Amino acid sequence: MENIGLIGAGIGAGLAAIGAGIGIGRLTASAVESMARQPEMSGDIRGAMILMAAFIEGVALFGEVICLLAVFQ
Amino acid sequence: MIIRKSLILILLTIISCGYIRAEDTDSTHSEEFNISETLFHHILDSHDWHLVDIPTGETDAHGDPVYKPVALHLPWLFYSSKTGLEFYANTHAMHEAGKYVSHHEHVYAVAEGQSVPHEYHGHGELENSEEIIDESVTIYDLSPSKTVVQIFLIGLLLVWLLSSVAKSYAKREGQAPKGMQSLMEPIILFVRDDIAKEYLGEKAEKFAPYLLSLFFFIWFSNMFGLMPFNSNIMGNISVTAALAFLSFILIQVNGSKDYWRHTFAMPGVPIAIVPLMTIIEVLSLFIKPIALAIRLFANITAGHFMVLSLVCLIFLMGESGKNLGGAFGIMPVSIVFTLAILTLEVIVAIIQAYIFTLLTAVFIGMARETHDDHH
Repeated sequence: MENIGLIGAGIGAGLAAIGAGIGIGRLTASAVESMARQPEMSGDIRGAMILMAAFIEGVALFGEVICLLAVFQ
Repeated sequence: MIIRKSLILILLTIISCGYIRAEDTDSTHSEEFNISETLFHHILDSHDWHLVDIPTGETDAHGDPVYKPVALHLPWLFYSSKTGLEFYANTHAMHEAGKYVSHHEHVYAVAEGQSVPHEYHGHGELENSEEIIDESVTIYDLSPSKTVVQIFLIGLLLVWLLSSVAKSYAKREGQAPKGMQSLMEPIILFVRDDIAKEYLGEKAEKFAPYLLSLFFFIWFSNMFGLMPFNSNIMGNISVTAALAFLSFILIQVNGSKDYWRHTFAMPGVPIAIVPLMTIIEVLSLFIKPIALAIRLFANITAGHFMVLSLVCLIFLMGESGKNLGGAFGIMPVSIVFTLAILTLEVIVAIIQAYIFTLLTAVFIGMARETHDDHH
């Protein structure tokens, strides 16, 4: 039972990755669709996409850091 | 073309092989390869700039070859509550003096009547550490670590590089850029036009110097961190936290009247909700820079963990040299994956520099904003 924290950290890291994956996947899909509809707006859309991806990734990384803390407490 | 491509491939392979260094064998003889110890040895900050281990040709009592470490020993400078300010040229000199001992990259006072074992060089396990270390003495460690030295080196490099570019602009006014100018101009223009002007408007010129310094410092640190023999700077949370703190100060100093009103008394919401909104807004003041620091730290650390874990696969499968077939079997897989991850890391190095700079600019822009819609 001592290593149950490790299982928790592993599951947590996986869930954080799934969440970020879904988020960034949906974001990129919409961004690429918009770019295809309005190619002249590509620059602005790409900028907004990277910015939002950074935010989503930031949330996932919070999760990962907490999992790391659980492993190496 | 093929020659150029294969040269690049060879260069990248050499860079990735730089991670495969001989492990410390001067500590106690270990039966099995300890992956987390190796990972942390390479990722954490240290007090010796360990470059390489040279085989001496001798063998120890277990029949293992003995390596002589080649390292740059950094000085110790700390304030101790027992004897005041102390300075030692290196760890060896400190242990010779016998009053203080370095243990797990921290300095401790040696208890009365105890002495540092002669064979202990500052890394590995210190036997009877509870008896030797006197925990009651408080020590404020000010010594420059590997990361600190590396930060200064990168600072000097950037000052030299960018001031030489600036000089050549002054000298070659109105002419096409030449040499280093051609490399730096698009990057500087990108930061100024696509980050500063985009989010800060007409005040972009005022913030461009800070944003440019931030961008180049993070980018260069990340790139140096990927090379062998260099310290992992942005994988150190203290460094990213310090950068985020600078951005935090800049955001607050440039806050407009509307920014503070929206923080402490959100207009246009029912009066009962205002205290709750204030709590959330004040928290978000701090969460923004904390997220900046953690994002950069976690991205760079994750990359280093990936690369090092893949390289450690060789040692794991090879069982530290006992299973040569396993080591050679996993080696191509490990090298190919390391190469792929390192290529990704080169991109991540510049993307993280971009995101940190961009978010700083966005937050400053948000703080400077004045709202004319008073709901």
